[in-house]
Amino acid sequence: MVMLDQTSAVTLAATEAEESARPPRRRVVRWWIYLALLPLAAIVGLFSYYPALSAIFWSFFHWNPASQSIPVGLGNYATMAGDQIWWTSFRNLGYIFVFSVVSWAIPLLAAELLISLRSARWQFVMRTLLIIPMAFPAVVTALVWGFFYSPNDGVINQTLKALGLQALAQNWTGQGSTALLSLLFVGFPFIAGLPFLIFYSSLQNIPTEVLEAAQLDGVGRFARFWQIDLPLMASQVRILVFLVIVGTLQYGLVAQVLTAGGPNNATMVPILRMIDVAFQGGDWGYSAALSTTLFFITLAFGAVVVLVRKADDGTADGGAM
Amino acid sequence: MSTTRTRESRQLSLKAVLIILAVVSLAPYLFMLVTSLKTNQQFADSFWQISLPLHFENYATAWNQIAPYLVNTVIVATLSIVLILAIASVSGFVLARYRFAGKHFIYGAVLVLMMVPSLAKLIPLFILMKDLGLLNTYVVLVIPYTAGGLVLGTILIRNFVEGIPQSLFDAARIDGASGARMYRSLMLPLSLPVLGTIALLIISEVWNDYFWPLLAISNNDLRTVSVGLQFFQGQNFTDYGPLMAGYLLASLPLVVLFTFLSKYFLAGVQGGLPGAH
Repeated sequence: MVMLDQTSAVTLAATEAEESARPPRRRVVRWWIYLALLPLAAIVGLFSYYPALSAIFWSFFHWNPASQSIPVGLGNYATMAGDQIWWTSFRNLGYIFVFSVVSWAIPLLAAELLISLRSARWQFVMRTLLIIPMAFPAVVTALVWGFFYSPNDGVINQTLKALGLQALAQNWTGQGSTALLSLLFVGFPFIAGLPFLIFYSSLQNIPTEVLEAAQLDGVGRFARFWQIDLPLMASQVRILVFLVIVGTLQYGLVAQVLTAGGPNNATMVPILRMIDVAFQGGDWGYSAALSTTLFFITLAFGAVVVLVRKADDGTADGGAM
Repeated sequence: MSTTRTRESRQLSLKAVLIILAVVSLAPYLFMLVTSLKTNQQFADSFWQISLPLHFENYATAWNQIAPYLVNTVIVATLSIVLILAIASVSGFVLARYRFAGKHFIYGAVLVLMMVPSLAKLIPLFILMKDLGLLNTYVVLVIPYTAGGLVLGTILIRNFVEGIPQSLFDAARIDGASGARMYRSLMLPLSLPVLGTIALLIISEVWNDYFWPLLAISNNDLRTVSVGLQFFQGQNFTDYGPLMAGYLLASLPLVVLFTFLSKYFLAGVQGGLPGAH
């Protein structure tokens, strides 16, 4: 959702130019303008800015929400540096990120196949079918996959048994060696999602002249993929990488529903660690420090998205060629 | 002649591969549908096939348990949407159409929040709500959704209103329309598609949000769908038919909205991605 400001910056510049062209007007303080913006400022200030800033503040305390809090300086951050579980959770995030980037191969393939369909009706129907899973609540998807993985009556183990492969049956989410991999496969084949939508719409946006020119030059379908589609998608993909990093940092729902971070922290992720520390451990100051760290990491990657967008803006319209 | 034939057969194989991909994507949901109509015995006998008779009473069983969660979700979503649209449309209009000191500062302060993940304020927000004595109320859910939705809503509406030609507003002003009148009679009717997109995004957010209701609500009577379903799963995990029927019932409203309004959904999901329309 960090994707909006680049367009707004452009429109902003446009209106400013427009405004300065008009004759200057008498400056009157129109108090009702501020009154109109007051509800926005009050809600956003109290429930967005205040909590985010107070997390930074309390991360320097041994925070006791009910009674006296003791300042500990950087103590919480020192604890974090030595927190093995916290670093494990980032290693897991690394796996999750790499896996999701590799898995883009499937949505990319689907988008290429879809764009090659000649019938517009077929394209529409297949696109709709492929993205319907996006409409299901994430919890439902997680719970159904949990049902697939369950050790006794689970669909996967039952299917293996029916095929005479009971030796391969596992306690998929219950053992350290397969738990993380099981979580990663939730949502297979990963087509319904932002990457597919981005691949498909950038393929749709390739100008027909380019494709016609390529056809005249005798460029085949595979050559077209490498020489036209991929280069023209490059800038979108670059943004997608950072959006996925930001999204991965917030990964937690599937892990909470299927394994709650277990077994033995094999599927621990930062969000779950942050919640555990506060709600199970009662260490609110330390949790605030973890929250603050996560916040700044996300902010840094979010800023990269904005900068990449700004840089791309100058070279839009196939400048990547 | 032969080239058209190979082209046609190539189109056919394309369709075949795409259909396989769609079936695999939808398999868990089809499985859910098939299982929701079975008894445990039928499930044990054959878990992928449809088996007769179909047990529609599973849906009645599930509905009795799921309905309160759906009602809570709809109440929370409606309250949030009303608040967000009312406040964001006024703010977006003012930010797009008036010049005043601090305009860029205010808009910038809203834009920055687009980059702040809601999960980063989970812990302090919980303490704040606890201090305010709001835990286990509808308000504790409505407030964060409103705060989050206001950011997106204000930005989307402001950008949209900036795109409306100034000449329309000038004409209205010459006819003697006040600011409030222009907001009501000019800007609101034109902005309906954006307002619809925002409403859809909020519904989907409230329906999907998990961690905040998990922490802020412990009273089962107030739970929304996501957390409610997990509780429901804990109670029915040995009764597969009603369990799957419940999952489906909880998904149905979103799936229906998505199917009929996917254009608006996708516009929202892709935000302002350049060239992604």
